[in-house]
Amino acid sequence: MRNARWRRLPLPLLLIAAFALGGCGDQRILERIGFIQSTSYDLMPNGELKIAVAIPRLEAESNEKREVLSTTAPTSKQARIKMSRETSLQLVSGQLRVTLLGRSFAEAGIGNQLDTQIRDPAISPLMKIAVVNGDAEQLLNQRYSQHPRTDRYIERILEKEAGTHAIPKATLHQFVRDYYDDGIDPVAPMIRKAGKNIVIDGIALFRDDRFVYRLPPQDAMIFAFMRSRFKQGEIGINLQHQGAPREAVMVTSLVSQRSVKVSGSGPGTTVTVRVALDGTVLEYVGGLKLGKPKDLRKLERKIEAYVSGQAEAMMKNMQRAGADGIGIGAYVRNSMSYADWKRTNWRELYSQIDVRCKVKMTIKNVGKMK
Amino acid sequence: MVAVKEKLAPFHILVLIYMTQTGVVILSLGQMLAQTFGINGWLALPFYGVIVTANLLLIGLVYRMGRGKSIFDIMERRLPLLLLSPLYLLLTMVWSMLACLVSMEYVLIFQMIAFPTTNPVWFKIVIDLLAYSLFIKGIYTISKASTVFFYLTVWMYLFSSMLFHEYSWNRLTPFFFQEGDFALPGMSGIYAAFLGYELVMLLFGYVDRSAKLMKLAIWANLLVFVSYIYVSMLVFGFFGFGELREMQYPLIDMFAYVKFPFIERIENLLYGLLLFTMLATMAMYYWSANEASGRLFPKLKPSYRGIALIAGTFFVGLIPDTLAEVNEWLTWFGIVEIGIAFGLPLFLIALLLIRKEKEAPVHA
Repeated sequence: MRNARWRRLPLPLLLIAAFALGGCGDQRILERIGFIQSTSYDLMPNGELKIAVAIPRLEAESNEKREVLSTTAPTSKQARIKMSRETSLQLVSGQLRVTLLGRSFAEAGIGNQLDTQIRDPAISPLMKIAVVNGDAEQLLNQRYSQHPRTDRYIERILEKEAGTHAIPKATLHQFVRDYYDDGIDPVAPMIRKAGKNIVIDGIALFRDDRFVYRLPPQDAMIFAFMRSRFKQGEIGINLQHQGAPREAVMVTSLVSQRSVKVSGSGPGTTVTVRVALDGTVLEYVGGLKLGKPKDLRKLERKIEAYVSGQAEAMMKNMQRAGADGIGIGAYVRNSMSYADWKRTNWRELYSQIDVRCKVKMTIKNVGKMK
Repeated sequence: MVAVKEKLAPFHILVLIYMTQTGVVILSLGQMLAQTFGINGWLALPFYGVIVTANLLLIGLVYRMGRGKSIFDIMERRLPLLLLSPLYLLLTMVWSMLACLVSMEYVLIFQMIAFPTTNPVWFKIVIDLLAYSLFIKGIYTISKASTVFFYLTVWMYLFSSMLFHEYSWNRLTPFFFQEGDFALPGMSGIYAAFLGYELVMLLFGYVDRSAKLMKLAIWANLLVFVSYIYVSMLVFGFFGFGELREMQYPLIDMFAYVKFPFIERIENLLYGLLLFTMLATMAMYYWSANEASGRLFPKLKPSYRGIALIAGTFFVGLIPDTLAEVNEWLTWFGIVEIGIAFGLPLFLIALLLIRKEKEAPVHA
């Protein structure tokens, strides 16, 4: 009996030893690790990259809540090696939440950078991407005294705004997926520094990996209607025509449904985007009486006309810029045979096709008052 | 070890075959389908399902003609051992090498994700020890352990429902099989994802004849097929063909997208759990190799043979030291194994045609 027990001992012992010794390899000691939370990229005039990283500091003895390092280098990983020489921490990117792309960098094309980030198994595909209208490093480096720590401030503002669809969600996964898809172009939210704050500055539209067009913030909701269906959103509309009395409406709790139909072929292709909106009116300034069903129908028609007009104008601009952030291409592609699609020069066709937007607005209620 | 007289229950057989079939290949399956069969490549899977089922029916024929006797007994009653020994040697080698390579691949992916500079040999040793202590206990214990592993891993499919909001049918496109390279290594690689079912041949002696072994094997394969179709369709609609073609392990990236308020980077958990499905596959192949080698060296104790198998393949397994090389080796051994999966039953049927098996045991 004793003998048998002895014979059994070595195996568990070996296992324990192997596990314990395995831990001596890649050590990760929390206090000595710098978890990069945000990183920024700018293109220098000499063609090098200016890269900055923000790392939260956890030790009690340091007054600073975060550490920002920046350097210039030909590639991002080389920059990391350079930055590593300036810090006592071991830099890791497993907690990377936000990547900020300076406008100069985004305009030059970010393909290589995307490849680096998607290749690195440490980087989460949930990482957010945003384009900075201006210098990304400056925006990241500054402290915004009335807000949380800068990197968290940026992350939260992006998350919150994407929650109400004022900006599209742009994670690394979504960006790269749309980049590889031949029927859609990537988009990313745009931010900029505004004095003591950071402000959402519209939507950055890409053509392949190149930033080509900035959609102003007031078009962002229209863009969201056209891009996909969603729940939760709000839009303020100025219905005033020139010379007419003031008229404005604010629709909240928006639920938007979308369908896309493609007809015709070649340059005669017509794409009809139907948008059905449900919402609550909580603010209205103007001549109509919200309590009267007839007036309410009138208001609905006015909103419909405004949204479809804005949407079609926005589409014209996007077509001119050659950026298909809505994904019209996917619908056109799916309406064709494979051979036809491959024969089609989609970039060229995109600028020629007719995109129409038909909106159906339903005001579900007007709040507590008649 | 000879005392294994307990018979396998139907459910355990089903799970055992299912667990032997699923393994690390599931991680790259979507990519292989995209590269080999092009747009909507996942639609090629039914063809594979049919071929595997045909192969299983062939094995079923052996089972019926051989009246449920062990394939080694069938062969040895008709041919001298000396003539059979090269075949046994081949089976032992291929099966043990497959077990070794499957674990090697797992270890190398694990290393890439979690411990980039640690020597993979350490992980390999630990996993080999685990596999050894499992397979040496015999088929009955492997099947019970596989059932536990099954419950440990099967709930992961539920996670995939959290990815539906990023799924788009649009991304699938209405095109079929364009832009694929239709290369042989890719095709056999996808077939290798189904491999493991052929080991059902070795279960012949261990199951109750009433257990309808072949029916269960076909059901298990159907289960594998359904899970593969589901996973592949999901990755095609989640990433789109363009990106999928460029990826290596789409499933890991897809699960990296799952996020709970209290935990992120769940793919690390997923990958840890995949160890179990891999372990089941590995244990079954080592066990099969051990069975075959037992016919060559019946005097040697099974545990010593097991050690020899593990040690032998361990050192051979050190030769390919990059992921790409391991993949290449796996492709070649996979092709040989496909040959065995079809060739061995055909050979057995030929033998059984020459001399029929009688109901009562024959003493030659």
